[in-house]
Amino acid sequence: MMTLNSEKDNISGLPDSWLIQKDRTACYYHVPADQFTGIVTTLKALESRLVSIIGEEGFYVPDLCSISYVFELLDTPRYLVLVLTCPEPESITGLFPAASFFERKISDGFGVRFSGSGDERRLFLHEPYPEGFHPMKKGYVNTPVVAAGTPCPFPFREMKGESVYHIPVGPVHAGIIEPGHFRFSVIGETIMNLEVRLGYLHRGIEKLMEGKDPDEGVTLAESISGDESAVNACGYALAVEQICMITVPERAEYIRGIILELERSYSLVSDLAGMVTDIGFPVAASRLLVLREELQRACDSLTGSRFLKGIIRIGGVSRDFSSDSLLILDSLAEETGKRLEEIVSWISSVPSVIDRFSTTGVIRETLIDPLALSGPVARASGRVLDVRVDHPYGIYRDQIISPVSERAGDVLARFNLKSEEILVSLNFIRQLVSGIPTGPVRCAIAMHDGFALAGIESPRGRTIHYVRIRDSRIERYFVATASFSNWQAIEHAVMGNIVPDFPLINKSLNLSYSGTDV
Amino acid sequence: MNIFSSVFKRPVCKTASHADDAFEQIGLQTKKEISRVFGRSLAIREVDCGSDNAAEIELGNLSAPHYDIERFGVTFVASPRHADLLAVTGVVTHAMATVLKKTYEATPDPKFVIAIGDDACTGGIYLGTYAVIGPVEEVIPVDLKILGNPPRPVEILSGILSLMRSAGKPKFMDGGPDYD
Repeated sequence: MMTLNSEKDNISGLPDSWLIQKDRTACYYHVPADQFTGIVTTLKALESRLVSIIGEEGFYVPDLCSISYVFELLDTPRYLVLVLTCPEPESITGLFPAASFFERKISDGFGVRFSGSGDERRLFLHEPYPEGFHPMKKGYVNTPVVAAGTPCPFPFREMKGESVYHIPVGPVHAGIIEPGHFRFSVIGETIMNLEVRLGYLHRGIEKLMEGKDPDEGVTLAESISGDESAVNACGYALAVEQICMITVPERAEYIRGIILELERSYSLVSDLAGMVTDIGFPVAASRLLVLREELQRACDSLTGSRFLKGIIRIGGVSRDFSSDSLLILDSLAEETGKRLEEIVSWISSVPSVIDRFSTTGVIRETLIDPLALSGPVARASGRVLDVRVDHPYGIYRDQIISPVSERAGDVLARFNLKSEEILVSLNFIRQLVSGIPTGPVRCAIAMHDGFALAGIESPRGRTIHYVRIRDSRIERYFVATASFSNWQAIEHAVMGNIVPDFPLINKSLNLSYSGTDV
Repeated sequence: MNIFSSVFKRPVCKTASHADDAFEQIGLQTKKEISRVFGRSLAIREVDCGSDNAAEIELGNLSAPHYDIERFGVTFVASPRHADLLAVTGVVTHAMATVLKKTYEATPDPKFVIAIGDDACTGGIYLGTYAVIGPVEEVIPVDLKILGNPPRPVEILSGILSLMRSAGKPKFMDGGPDYD
């Protein structure tokens, strides 16, 4: 068997003749089909994490679908990408359970079958789509689809047995939230099994991106998930900028950093508000929502959008921030931090809050690697995973942010972690405001052909964007937001909890449905 | 606790420093119009059919302290069976088309539908692609469109006001109880 070593910034052990590309973010190797399983087994033994699996037609062999397996090696800033071109690849779900969702996504999109896969059900294509419909194939022209005449019902995995009953919830929920279906198998009040079914918000963003001018694609990237608009636009821009060898002006990097941390702050404040709302503590929620509204108003006055849309562009940002507006932002960040600390310490002093939060919805640390969990979900379970630190990009190459972590993995840990992270973000904003250099905020762009991967830390965790440009147009676009993998955590977190705690556990994770379904 | 401390305690409520006069005016007019059309209050059921969640966040914000639209007789309800108005967001995806129709049918008459956001109103950037049916009006009748990506809270409330203004004397009250 081949030996693989991950040394700092270098991956040795794979023959140079397999190397396709080595760039700032990743090393791409084309792996012969007969050696693939051996290498993946070695990667597993080296405690590497599977981050993403990307399907692409014509990556290596024209008209054939290649599968790119993106791995994160211990202490290695570059991602390792194994490119496999094989008509029926072997499923790696046995070694990396997180592969299941990715393999199903590729099967839906390209019609590729993975041998030995434990789950061959469709993922994002729901019943209205006809059999044999694979929209990501290059030969498929993006046109409206006529719904299938006799759709087959989706086979849920359910527990059977005496006194087991099922609770179907959604896709339309009681609150003002996104659509998704939850199928509980319950005995008494205790949840014995949960299956989450998503895909209701599948808008075909990856296909829609194809053929677009790269600059035009930013708007689509912003539409992936509303409260992660800036981070997705930025992740997409990072990939395009790497292909086109664009160096973003320093001032623009600072502005991007301010925007990304502002987005994290307002998103996480509403997570905290959601958690206290779901235990029936509206007084606390109201105080947090006041902070959130003020942060969103700050977003509006800085960028013209309460959701930071339209500010990130390829090569920089669309508008400069005046020194007056930066001063106002600085005092808002300071004030918000103080008020947040006061509110959170008050909330934490209420015994019934601790009673509901503590030991509820535990996500064990042992789940993090197999399910490719990231972001606050992983950090609240004792693992300090953060793209900003592990694979620094943009402003985080120069300005260091120190991530926080908790150990218990329950709702309380996620509440404490998220409140700490808001304070870190607000301080980071102040640090950037005080050090922001003068200069242009956008540079000229010239398109190049090529491909690149970009990892970025969204408020919900690690998000991967992959872009290929051919003839100055987007040829292939892939996105996996943090929610895509993190959704699997909830099925484990609710086990043994009671049904009334489900909304609280769900809110403590607050994952994006639209960011998963794209 | 001493009874006098309860009597003489200062009120917990205080006037917010962020009061927005324009929003208050729209709110008070909406309250008046809702009373005219529905007697007392307007119950809204929200349905997301393909939104990116930004419009949902703004609808949620309407209940937060800066706006608090329950003061004006507008409430968000948990079931279409309790609703007078459906607030539909997003371009309608294939997976949500049947769900939207069923939700519409489950809403008792008389009912109104508003489409919120560019994608819900026109199909936006998704129009003509494989994953979507199109704007909301392709699936159920729409009474009012509120454009925006997403519209701001004040724009949503203004939309509700203009819908109530144009609603006229409701047909369901003909021969029914008189609330005036």
